[in-house]
Amino acid sequence: MSSLLSGQLLVAALATGGLYALVAVGLNLVYGTMRLLNVAHGEFVMVGAYVAFLLFSTWQIGPPWSLLAAFAVATALGLAAYRGLFHRLLERNQRVEANSLLLFFAVSVILQNVVALTFSANERAYRHLDGIVTFGDVSVTESRLLALVVSLAVCLAVALALRYAAVGQAIRAVLQNRDAAALVGVNVVQVQRLCFAFGVGAAGMAGALISLTQGISPFMGFPFTIAAFVVVILGGLGNLTGSLVGGLLLGFLETYGIALTAASYRSILLYGVFVGVLILLPRGLFGRRAARR
Amino acid sequence: MNRRKLFAAALALAGAAVVGTSQAAEPVRIGFSIAKTGIFAPAAPSQLNAYELWREQVNARGGLDVGGTKRPVEFVQYDDQSDPAQAVRIYEKLITSDKVDLLLAPWGTPHHFAIAGVLERNKFPMVGNSAASVQLRDLKPGYIWFPTSAIPDRVAESLVAMMKAQGVGTAAVTTLQLPFSLEIKKFLMPALKSAGIKVVADSDYPPDIKDMTAVLAAVKSAKPDAILSLSYPTDSVAFMKQAREMDLSAPFMMVLVGPTMDFFGKIFGPAADGIVTVGHWSPHQKNWQRARPFFDSYEAQFKERPDYLDSALAYMSCEILEQAVAKAGLDRAKLRDAIASQTFETINGPIKFKGVENASTPTALLQLQKGEAHLVWPAEIATSGFAKKDGWPK
Repeated sequence: MSSLLSGQLLVAALATGGLYALVAVGLNLVYGTMRLLNVAHGEFVMVGAYVAFLLFSTWQIGPPWSLLAAFAVATALGLAAYRGLFHRLLERNQRVEANSLLLFFAVSVILQNVVALTFSANERAYRHLDGIVTFGDVSVTESRLLALVVSLAVCLAVALALRYAAVGQAIRAVLQNRDAAALVGVNVVQVQRLCFAFGVGAAGMAGALISLTQGISPFMGFPFTIAAFVVVILGGLGNLTGSLVGGLLLGFLETYGIALTAASYRSILLYGVFVGVLILLPRGLFGRRAARR
Repeated sequence: MNRRKLFAAALALAGAAVVGTSQAAEPVRIGFSIAKTGIFAPAAPSQLNAYELWREQVNARGGLDVGGTKRPVEFVQYDDQSDPAQAVRIYEKLITSDKVDLLLAPWGTPHHFAIAGVLERNKFPMVGNSAASVQLRDLKPGYIWFPTSAIPDRVAESLVAMMKAQGVGTAAVTTLQLPFSLEIKKFLMPALKSAGIKVVADSDYPPDIKDMTAVLAAVKSAKPDAILSLSYPTDSVAFMKQAREMDLSAPFMMVLVGPTMDFFGKIFGPAADGIVTVGHWSPHQKNWQRARPFFDSYEAQFKERPDYLDSALAYMSCEILEQAVAKAGLDRAKLRDAIASQTFETINGPIKFKGVENASTPTALLQLQKGEAHLVWPAEIATSGFAKKDGWPK
């Protein structure tokens, strides 16, 4: 079991966990501030992946521009969806969660099929940043290293912004109590729009990173939606630091869990821990306990 | 008044259109369903493209020869949403309500199995293509046929024979928990054992695996002569990427599904050289005169290479149908007898069916060499010799 101590596993766990965290932070931001259940989150990942793929295969443009472009395109799509579909839903403020679930489901089906019809459904891939970097006993592909560094950096930046920046404090205020935040002068609508834009933008950026490491297809998004929901629920709905930790935890659970047991136990392990957390800590690992009096 | 005139004019135009088409040879309508959406959608274009290429080629030749008369080919196609039950309803509709003249196959083993009963009940013959399972031999022969020779038990047998010939003594096997790969493993393990090849690492993993580092670490520490990755496209990529990262390689490296797909070469380039995979067709086999022209026209039309299994098999099923119809016309009983008894000229050489199976094409293995997939086993159809995989290019 000396392999357990190898840096290789650590890097693998961090790379997987970092991407999970990046995808989940966006999902949680959208849920936390607006109570919108974005089941199309994985489709924004997919859109980002296609943007990066097209940029590279047409003009040989890779990161950092492809990451920014994926972020921008996903954000633009998100804002259009927000303006057209969710703005009114939020204003009316009735059964937001249930209705958003239906709306996002539609968005998901539409995005999948529009991409499938435009670019055909077959798996696509490109080769970029595939040199191997070695340090010590660890060797890792440049693209995976980039995914690790970028996703952890973005997550860290989000955590810092939430703590120290004015806008971050406004977001936290809305996360905690929307009405109270509005009362003390936070422009709730603006905060919501910002969170929506950033949330799906982060998903798009994650997609661009993922496209460097695996083949992409219009239907690649769903597993990321599932993983993001698991992470968010593990870390606590609406708790952003929780989803950073939850993402990393899932990455570690996946990598070290397989190393300790066998790969065929992966799903049992992951969902076992998930269900266990739900039973023992229904508000997630870092969810605030229900007020006791 | 105006509106009424317009309506009358439209009616007249429509009438003229109907008369216009009835003067030309009536098209032969060929129906099928395919996964345009849903989980199998990424796999289906390689099959659909082959159908479309064939249709265009036939129509450019003046049409499909139906017992002496040339008639244009028209497709009636539906999306089965990757759902076999949906395919059953669609084929029922194609036969009874659309009243198509001929049928082509949907994508994938489960869909072929699902519609076999519909074909049988309606006595409608169909040449299958993208299906591979030993269970297909359990289907009652008569209305469905399978041109593939990559059936799991025979794949296992050929693979082990080839490994033996290369002096492989130890092997590591990693298996994705999905039907085709598990079925191959089921036949592979006993075959390895009876050939005296020791299995030094063996692990199964689920389809949603994201990282294979832990699985491959176990393989690496076992230092096998051969690494067999029984994987589907997505995890084939993960296997290759992470094996390369960890500098895990063996003289004999096999990846089950993926290496002959167009995107695989694009993602790996020279790193894919030396990988062995399953397939029984290659454009490099000069004895199959139709092989190279098919490859070239597919690549020219779709700007990517055909998949060596699904695209080739789909095109072969069209060739078989075309030749059977030329002889027997559209009468289903005659057509059925023609398919069951004739020998067909295809891009994969001559094919004759025995029961539901292709009795002519040997089960073969391909190896990627300088970006091209060559047949390396068995010797009778090989287009190149096997070359040991020499690590990963720097």
